[in-house]
Amino acid sequence: MRSELRVLFGRPRTWAMLLALAAIPILIAVAVRLSSEPPGPGEGPPFLDRVTQNGLFVGMTALVVSIPLFLPLTVGVVAGDTIAGEASLGTLRYLLVAPAGRVRLLVVKYVAAAVFCLAATLTVVVVGALVGLALFGAGPATLLSGDTVGVGESAVRALLVAVYVTVSLLGLSAVGLFVSTLTEVPVGAMAATVVLSVVAQVLGQLDQLAWLHPWLFSRHWLGFADLLRQPVSWDSFGDNALLQAGYVAVFGALAYGRFVTKDVLS
Amino acid sequence: MKRPSVRWAPAVVVPAVIATGALISSAGAGAADLEPRTPAQVLALLAASDVQAFAGTLEQTSELGLPTLPDGALAGSAEGSAATAVLELLTGERTARVYADGPSNLRVQVFDTLTERDVVRRGDEVWLYDYEANEATRLELPDAPAGHAASLPGAGTPDGVPTPAELADRFVALVDDTTEVAVGAGVVVAGRDAYDLVLSPRSADTLIGSVVIAVDAETGLPLSVAVHARGQEEPAARVAFTRLTLGAPDPALFSFTPPPGAQVEEVEPPQPGLRPPAGTGLDRLPAVALPTVTGSGWDTVVALPAAAVPPELAKAPLVAQLTRAVDGGRALETAVVTVLLTEDGRALVGAVPLERLQDVAAGR
Repeated sequence: MRSELRVLFGRPRTWAMLLALAAIPILIAVAVRLSSEPPGPGEGPPFLDRVTQNGLFVGMTALVVSIPLFLPLTVGVVAGDTIAGEASLGTLRYLLVAPAGRVRLLVVKYVAAAVFCLAATLTVVVVGALVGLALFGAGPATLLSGDTVGVGESAVRALLVAVYVTVSLLGLSAVGLFVSTLTEVPVGAMAATVVLSVVAQVLGQLDQLAWLHPWLFSRHWLGFADLLRQPVSWDSFGDNALLQAGYVAVFGALAYGRFVTKDVLS
Repeated sequence: MKRPSVRWAPAVVVPAVIATGALISSAGAGAADLEPRTPAQVLALLAASDVQAFAGTLEQTSELGLPTLPDGALAGSAEGSAATAVLELLTGERTARVYADGPSNLRVQVFDTLTERDVVRRGDEVWLYDYEANEATRLELPDAPAGHAASLPGAGTPDGVPTPAELADRFVALVDDTTEVAVGAGVVVAGRDAYDLVLSPRSADTLIGSVVIAVDAETGLPLSVAVHARGQEEPAARVAFTRLTLGAPDPALFSFTPPPGAQVEEVEPPQPGLRPPAGTGLDRLPAVALPTVTGSGWDTVVALPAAAVPPELAKAPLVAQLTRAVDGGRALETAVVTVLLTEDGRALVGAVPLERLQDVAAGR
């Protein structure tokens, strides 16, 4: 497990993706700072006009911006690479020669992908918070309900939001893991995973498919705002966790079925 | 080495388990085992309810059959914001939290994606807050009339005032001319057992099939209200608690201080007995523009004379999109309400089919 994480975070590609994610809050904060007049209420992405009051909101704005594409993109790359990457490098059969077993390999690969989800989300939130604090300073944060909380509690809320978004991405990681067992071409698995995440969001926009919406893994992706209400509304956190757990179970089982019956030739 | 079919077993079993679980949780929401009661008893229960302190989550769904407007269709138009706000209420789903403690402490939070609107009332002070616009509005309610306190629930029942049970009996008798009242099967709403009170119109001329109120078996608090249209499986509109806690919520919820940076506005409350203040548009309504009411009960049709209908209404792009041209004007048809804008500028509204509105408009 430790070696798997070392491999994942030893790759220049992983760091490049995290850097790209870190660039989003930095760009937002610098743009707001340099613009001559502060953004008015309701302008630009949500939370943007609150950035100047409290730097922590840079992280929130960056999350809203990156949830539709950037986060699924990086998670798709990591999750799609899990099995197919080893297969394409020809290292998969060596891993399977070791007595670790296929199930364990699958679990280790998935946990590594999940750790990357957390790292990616934390990157956006923490870098956003740091940049925001540096450029705008800390102030009392206004929650969605209009109540004001101090810096300490707003930091706790920001971390909770990071956890929420990480959980949101676990389902997509499981889908990526399954797709990765289907092919030996990692790029194909990555692309398929990213495309699936976009398709899920497009389907979520179509009112005609309302019956399908509760089953889409992207259903609660923007629900993290419920953690910024006063008092905290845990309903969407619970719904989201249940939904993602369902995806992990289904696609984990599919990946298991596929991977343990697969002839590993490379 | 096990056979491949065994290896695939989890991939079949897991979705099956999830599907079963989903089916059970949606079907299990019904059926509560309650002692049978007559409609009058349930009405009495409803009338006797004096729950004043609770915290709950409400969910509102609408299936009115309104045409879906493309996003941004209203952007930039003058009537945009107000009209979209109304349309939003009439379409789709919405979640709100309600906190109440006594008659004068109330907080309502309407959840939207990434934003929220709040109403906070504490005593005579009311705050409205809109997070997205970052606007806080304060208004002071006029003092309650002196006799008001006595009429509050729980303030005692002086002699001569009917008991809730009597009231319920009278109510049943009253509604019985136009409405059939029945008690449906027990249901579970927000985890509480409740009686379904079913009000069905006797008139065949209305679009409304029935109104169903779930009355909490223990406290008599209405837990959900659903309006069913004729021939439509899903309720046309439903408001229901998904979560309910009885007892006083945290008092801090009822105090509101506008957040720093918010735009604060004071609004003068309308004084009773005075003309509406100039500039609100209300004072420009001519006194003769009173609506005429045709019929009674469920198939009532309300007709606004041309003078009360802004002439530019029929030409507004939003109205043009929502309505369709019919014999005698333009009509908006939903599952439970029909609106007819006649060519001579009148507006007719009713929970009736379009033909009846046309008949009334033509004076038949």
